[in-house]
Amino acid sequence: MAYISIPTYWKALPQRYCLIGLKCKNCGTINFPARDVCLGCGKKTEYEPTPLRRHGKIYSYTIISAGGAPPEFSEQERLAGSFGIAVVELEEGPRIIGQMTDCKPNEISIGMEVEAVFRRIYEDDGVIRYGIKFRPQLKSKANQR
Amino acid sequence: MEAGIIGYGVYIPRFRIKSEEYLKAWGLFAARGIEEKALQGYDEDTVTMAVESSANALKRARIDSDQLDGLFFASTVAPYMEKLSSSTVAAALNTGSEIFIADFGYSTKAGTSALLSCLDFVSSNRGKLGLTVASDNPEALPDEPIEHGLGAGSAALLVGKNNVVARVEDTHSSSLEIIGERYRRHGKQFLKDSGIRAYTEQAFNQALTISVTNLLKRLGAKAEDFAYAVFQQYDGRSPYDVGRKLGFKDPQISPSMVVTKIGDAGCASPLIGLCAVLDLAKPGDRILVASYGSGAGSDAVSFLVTDHIEEHRNKGPLLEDYLTKKECVDYVTYLKLRRMLGEKQ
Repeated sequence: MAYISIPTYWKALPQRYCLIGLKCKNCGTINFPARDVCLGCGKKTEYEPTPLRRHGKIYSYTIISAGGAPPEFSEQERLAGSFGIAVVELEEGPRIIGQMTDCKPNEISIGMEVEAVFRRIYEDDGVIRYGIKFRPQLKSKANQR
Repeated sequence: MEAGIIGYGVYIPRFRIKSEEYLKAWGLFAARGIEEKALQGYDEDTVTMAVESSANALKRARIDSDQLDGLFFASTVAPYMEKLSSSTVAAALNTGSEIFIADFGYSTKAGTSALLSCLDFVSSNRGKLGLTVASDNPEALPDEPIEHGLGAGSAALLVGKNNVVARVEDTHSSSLEIIGERYRRHGKQFLKDSGIRAYTEQAFNQALTISVTNLLKRLGAKAEDFAYAVFQQYDGRSPYDVGRKLGFKDPQISPSMVVTKIGDAGCASPLIGLCAVLDLAKPGDRILVASYGSGAGSDAVSFLVTDHIEEHRNKGPLLEDYLTKKECVDYVTYLKLRRMLGEKQ
């Protein structure tokens, strides 16, 4: 298992639960997740937490099928079937990796509009690890403006 | 100024199972008046559902989560027996730490109990903005008739004093001790009921009659004064049965009857019913909401819809958006997604 200890997981809860990006105070680049050195300017700077808008497009993806899932996801694969893992390019720029949910693997395509949702990622020793997954953008009849 | 609903939002999971699947598997479908019901995906629970309905309520009211002073979470099946779920919802909404949180459970009346506490919280000026979110996914063993109707869903109601879309006119609650009607002992995963329909109906009717008739008396109102009546939805028939006895007509009840499409969403059902009606209501409409709680009582609340409803409604996803976005599954897939097969979690 790709073991992440509870304190390590906990430290990154704002990123894992709410998709809080880190804006470089030097060049303005949004980093996600946190990095020692900014991806934009390559400098060791300070960051300002910035909530991201939770929308993006699929940049690339792969499918995890029978036998391919890491141990913490093997029961998920057995009970809920194959699932997609996508690299999502967020509106603000960062590309992040996340599981696809609420869609069948054959519904996933590059360029597809997705939104971040809060889901159970896995659980370890009875402790639920919640986090962000992506699903196809929900269509609404309300104009929402 | 009085506290009222200033935002509302729902969430219904994507998966559905139709009653025919039960007929194929068991030779019968024991839940009356339910065509299909919603079930959670493998990665969902009552907390994840609550996060989405809450976000929809905040979005509809154009309120930032860090303005919330209180969060009242209700569920009969919260993921932890000790450890608050409201804190997870608050963290996922990014409310910040300056917030009062509380969990409600133990009964299908928990949603309205949380709402009444939230209304008190705001009315008494302990906080300016409170969020009530009820989220439920009741579980029973597959060979129990009560399991057939059990569905899932979540509704969130934002409570404040400004830009109220539904004002609270009055409330009335009742308590009744009804043993063995709908219950789950400590440490048990699965719900049980008496299995005696007449007993359940009697309890349901008695508890609702006390809360509703007393509320109407206090208001000096009659059943026909209400545009909509929303009752606890264990199945697709009992709300009509109790409604008729209380003087309501079927067209006042049917718009809230989401149970026919999502099943019994436990403590969330009366609030999802209220949201269904808010998606349709006009200014000046009066809405009666009455819950019933697992052999123990009922809360009745009377709402008056304000002029703000029209501009407000289309600022967030509607119930219909979730009802139309669905994927129907067969019975074996249903059992897998419910984690009835394989290791229990």
